[in-house]
Amino acid sequence: MTRILDPTLRTVKAVATTPRAPRPSGLAGARIGLLANGKSNGMLLLERVAEILGQRHAIAGVIRVAKTNASVPVTEDAAEPLLKRCAAVVTAIGD
Amino acid sequence: MASVMGREREGIDLDDPWQAIEACYEQGWTDGLPVVPPTEILVERTLASGPWDPDQVLLHEPARDRGVTAYKAAINAVMAGCRPEYFPVIGAALTAIGDPDFELHGPATSTGGAALMVIVNGPVRRRLDIHGKANLFGPGFRANATIGRALRLVLLNCLECQPGVLDKSTQGWPGKYSLCFAEEEEASPWEPLSVARGFRPGQSTVTVFAAESGHNVLAHGTRSPERLLTLFAETMAGLGSLSPGRSVIVFAPEHAGHLARERWSRARTQAWLYERAWRPLADLKRSGKIEPAFLTNPRLLEWLYRHHPAGVPAPPPDPGAAERISAEDESVRVHRGLGPDDILLCVGGGEAGGHSAFFPSWSRGRSVPFITKEVPS
Repeated sequence: MTRILDPTLRTVKAVATTPRAPRPSGLAGARIGLLANGKSNGMLLLERVAEILGQRHAIAGVIRVAKTNASVPVTEDAAEPLLKRCAAVVTAIGD
Repeated sequence: MASVMGREREGIDLDDPWQAIEACYEQGWTDGLPVVPPTEILVERTLASGPWDPDQVLLHEPARDRGVTAYKAAINAVMAGCRPEYFPVIGAALTAIGDPDFELHGPATSTGGAALMVIVNGPVRRRLDIHGKANLFGPGFRANATIGRALRLVLLNCLECQPGVLDKSTQGWPGKYSLCFAEEEEASPWEPLSVARGFRPGQSTVTVFAAESGHNVLAHGTRSPERLLTLFAETMAGLGSLSPGRSVIVFAPEHAGHLARERWSRARTQAWLYERAWRPLADLKRSGKIEPAFLTNPRLLEWLYRHHPAGVPAPPPDPGAAERISAEDESVRVHRGLGPDDILLCVGGGEAGGHSAFFPSWSRGRSVPFITKEVPS
């Protein structure tokens, strides 16, 4: 019998897992965050998403955040208004 | 439960060792080529040849929060076909691509299809037979073929960079299998690359770079540094890869010899190339190289107009200016990179032949820096 070892991380338990936020019960009157990932046209796509959300769900407004670099995580400063003031956040990459 | 160096081992049990190669394919653990089955004894030997604790994280990828331990790296190194003694080089290279400044998520996943270049300097080259002479980018050399391959297997298996899924390379290129070579320091007119990067003579290092495919610079007809370097500058200024990103040039020993004979320093060569690797802004517009969105990106705008006598325009031009060519645009120089230090020079290749290589950075933007780390002894 020969055992070959698993080269992937599938069996590795995460050291710390971030719990998911509860889903909002509805979007009527909710403020929505728009997080563009850092490519040229992400916000263009998100603006259209916000327009549709406005038509269908009567959202209260949006907060726009655009990363300047698609390769790195969003900074805490940039994420703060999304965390503190938005009921939900939509993110997109658009090239 | 059985263990490798005291840790729980997850894997697959097989009656016939030859089944193992196919089993690795079935699990999706390969780069397309057969792998060496990562058995307990091979992984143990590999881990033992590095200074790291099995649970030590060698590479942390921040965008997706994945940590690759020495244990997982060793499994992938075995699969790549590495000898155990290569492991310190692999660990150093993983540490280098995990440096936050390297922003690995981009070159690992982008449509640009970058390869992870590893340039090795110092005594470890000879100790491990890492090759820097004839056909150094090509087949025939175990250390070159397998060290770079180990990095790619870590990306595939640990960071889940599966082609077409997370790795969205439009085309990719064969360097993505492995792109590891030694600098042929003995043929260089200059100090070793590692010393130019701030390390002591005699220290072994890896220098990593996220590279597009290499461009051959063919020159058999001149010994003049100026004429020779004109060919390099022309290649670097090619519109296809023109960007504010960095460049790697691997001079063939013959070309390096022409620079050595005339005592061209590293700094002079870098400055000379930077000064001449440019195109007029009008060429970028005529060719469609400038996307309208470039003109709304402060960093790209800074690149396009940094050599304009009036500086960066304020307010920024409207996006329509990407296609409007003014008379002034004919004389605005847009250089490759942002300065001479963006051009990394090293030496490698066979004694015969006037074939050098230029490797552009992977992205249309600034892309990632060169990162150099010491190989632990």
